[in-house]
Amino acid sequence: MSLYAVRNLRVEIGDATVVEDVSFTVDAGDCVALVGASGSGKSQTCLAPFGLSPGIAAGSALFDGTELIDLDTAQLRAIRGRDTGFVFQHPLTALTPHLTIGAQLAEARQLGGAAPPRRDAMIAALERVGLDAPRERLDQFPHRLSGGQRQRALIAMAIAHTPKLLIADEPTSALDAELRVEIMALLDTLRREEGLALVLVSHDLAAVAQHADTIVLLRDGKAIEDGPAKTTLAAPVSTYGRDLVAATPLLSDPPPNLPETGAALLVATDIGVTFPKPGWRKGRVAAVSDASLSIREGEALALVGGSGSGKSTLARAIARLGPVDSGRVEWRGEPLPERKRMTPDHRRLIQPVFQDPAASLDPQWRVSDIIDEPMRHLRPDLAEWNRVGMVKQVLREVDLPPGFADRFPRELSGGQAQRVAIARALVAEPEMLLLDEATSALDILVAGRILDLLEKLQHERNLALLFITHDLAVAKRLCHRIAVMEAGHIVEEGPAERIIASPAHPVTQRLVAASKS
Amino acid sequence: MRGRIPLLIVAIVALAALLLPPFLPWTHSAIDWEAVRAPLFSAGHLFGTDTVGRDLLARTLVGTRVTLAVALAAALVALVIGTIWGAIAGWVGGRTDEIMMRIVDGLYALPFMFVVILLMVVFGRNIVLVFIGIGAVEWLTMARVVRGQVIALKERPFVTAAEAAGTPPSRILTGHILPNVAGVALAYLLLTVPQVVMVESFLSFLGLGVQEPLTSLGILVKEGADDMDLQPHALLIPGGVLVLIIVCLTIAGERLRDRLSR
Repeated sequence: MSLYAVRNLRVEIGDATVVEDVSFTVDAGDCVALVGASGSGKSQTCLAPFGLSPGIAAGSALFDGTELIDLDTAQLRAIRGRDTGFVFQHPLTALTPHLTIGAQLAEARQLGGAAPPRRDAMIAALERVGLDAPRERLDQFPHRLSGGQRQRALIAMAIAHTPKLLIADEPTSALDAELRVEIMALLDTLRREEGLALVLVSHDLAAVAQHADTIVLLRDGKAIEDGPAKTTLAAPVSTYGRDLVAATPLLSDPPPNLPETGAALLVATDIGVTFPKPGWRKGRVAAVSDASLSIREGEALALVGGSGSGKSTLARAIARLGPVDSGRVEWRGEPLPERKRMTPDHRRLIQPVFQDPAASLDPQWRVSDIIDEPMRHLRPDLAEWNRVGMVKQVLREVDLPPGFADRFPRELSGGQAQRVAIARALVAEPEMLLLDEATSALDILVAGRILDLLEKLQHERNLALLFITHDLAVAKRLCHRIAVMEAGHIVEEGPAERIIASPAHPVTQRLVAASKS
Repeated sequence: MRGRIPLLIVAIVALAALLLPPFLPWTHSAIDWEAVRAPLFSAGHLFGTDTVGRDLLARTLVGTRVTLAVALAAALVALVIGTIWGAIAGWVGGRTDEIMMRIVDGLYALPFMFVVILLMVVFGRNIVLVFIGIGAVEWLTMARVVRGQVIALKERPFVTAAEAAGTPPSRILTGHILPNVAGVALAYLLLTVPQVVMVESFLSFLGLGVQEPLTSLGILVKEGADDMDLQPHALLIPGGVLVLIIVCLTIAGERLRDRLSR
């Protein structure tokens, strides 16, 4: 008999059915992965049977011989505290800010019914999850820990009472590539050594293929396909499965067909950016130091690095959209003026697209006005009736129906909003796009389509791209060259194929290794 | 619909205060020599009369009108000054922001009552002074709230995108920042009105606010309190209206604020 068996699970929130007829089983030491786009019911499937979501679960969820559906709250709480552990996506919000790590760890144990743990037992628990300097960490507050350290602390809390089942809802999505690998390895170790069963919610197909035993593909709350993880992902039967796999760029993909590059377009030399130290302390912290890069006409350069490595700060400094302390930027041999002196003619050259599509469109403006804004200021040659036509035309170019012009941003999905943001960047007819993690906040399928669109634009408009990403596989798909950043420095730069095949700098080597797994 | 009940109650009270007085047989200052200290529900005086025979229904309605008018005007002044001050401080940032916000802190530190009383002593009793005194204090919170919003919005990608679109800074402020501050500013306007109602009533209760023969809820509460052993309703009716307005506006304002800051 399986440790945890879900059969014909159905979850309703209000009048809406968010999960329908989902079944899976997981044994001790095994890992089942629930994979699907956002809104596909992945999280509801794992949380609702344990009473952790507003959804009402029906069907059957048999945990260790106990039926969870319709179990009363007190018994559910007992099972949650004693036999199961939960790890959530955002390590920052999942820890209580005003309690020390030690206090939260002790609470997690006590809720499992154990006596308050001794200090050395807690230190051992933090050591178990590979947290460095566990002795000091016990007395620290969550804000002193980095994202990866917080996620380790959370896992330590989730397994503090030695549960039989661990439910991990996108445990690595908020972390960068290297940390993902480390956290997944830690979860593997726990499974192997303690016979922990793992239900993993993820949209990272590569990680799922490597770590999960079985996989359930979800779409609109229904299980589309399930089976052993490796074989299912290698040859999906359903169209949805095939789409998912096709939309995920892999390092092992064949080299893409990239457009020819022309003369030098942008040359940035010795860029330095510093920020004042936080609080009342004197002095400044360097965010970017002595970074130089260049881009040719029609060329795509990927700026890759972990979070906090200075990628965005450097790109904004170059595009004159952020502070800069030193260095020169030349555009076709002419120096680009500083931020406050940028004329419309200069502004037109580089247009940005940001990570969070919802935040990059003014919620009070209609799509037509949003797309019109750059034309109004940067294209004085266009008459108003001309601009109306341009809005329709550019919407078509990013594959949105012209009727979208009248919508407000809140009426758009994430992918649609990102298309509008790209349309806004295109109408001014720039020569270079600055894409700041433009696909990271989107679902696999949506991100795949946005990448297709960018590829199309690259060929049709001969656009240069400065593509900021933390995902080497995405970088490889679109970019001629890759520059790797670490702690504000560009540590390695070269043709994409060369960087991926034979990385020279240790940081690059780690990134490549992390992306391969 | 249930969420609108507090605002609906305030609207009904305000409309009654605005429209009903001309239709009453008595004005707020007319004295009925026949019916001094008339009890509740007596003929011609639904709420009775006060110690000198003035109709309490008319006085309550006019008092509500005066209190609400002063409160709304002061809150609007606070909104305008606070929004402009806060928006400039937040938008310009740096040293300008520091100086502007230290001025706000300084004004906060002034003992407000003391200043109002000093103003009264120097310039004599005057409703305009009350008004200036209240307005000078209430815009401080608004300025802080708006500044915080502006600073948060300034970092949003759509503002950077507007800069990349060549939009001049002044147009970014008026076209992108202020419209997005409006919701929160409106919520604080709703929260400022009941505060000003309180302050005005307090000043009037002390005899520093609105002067006879004009009346306000604060004056009515004061008069009712003086006579409460004989005629408790003369205290309870204006007091009840005051509490109703403050509670309803506070609930409505907090609800709006919570909805916007989600």
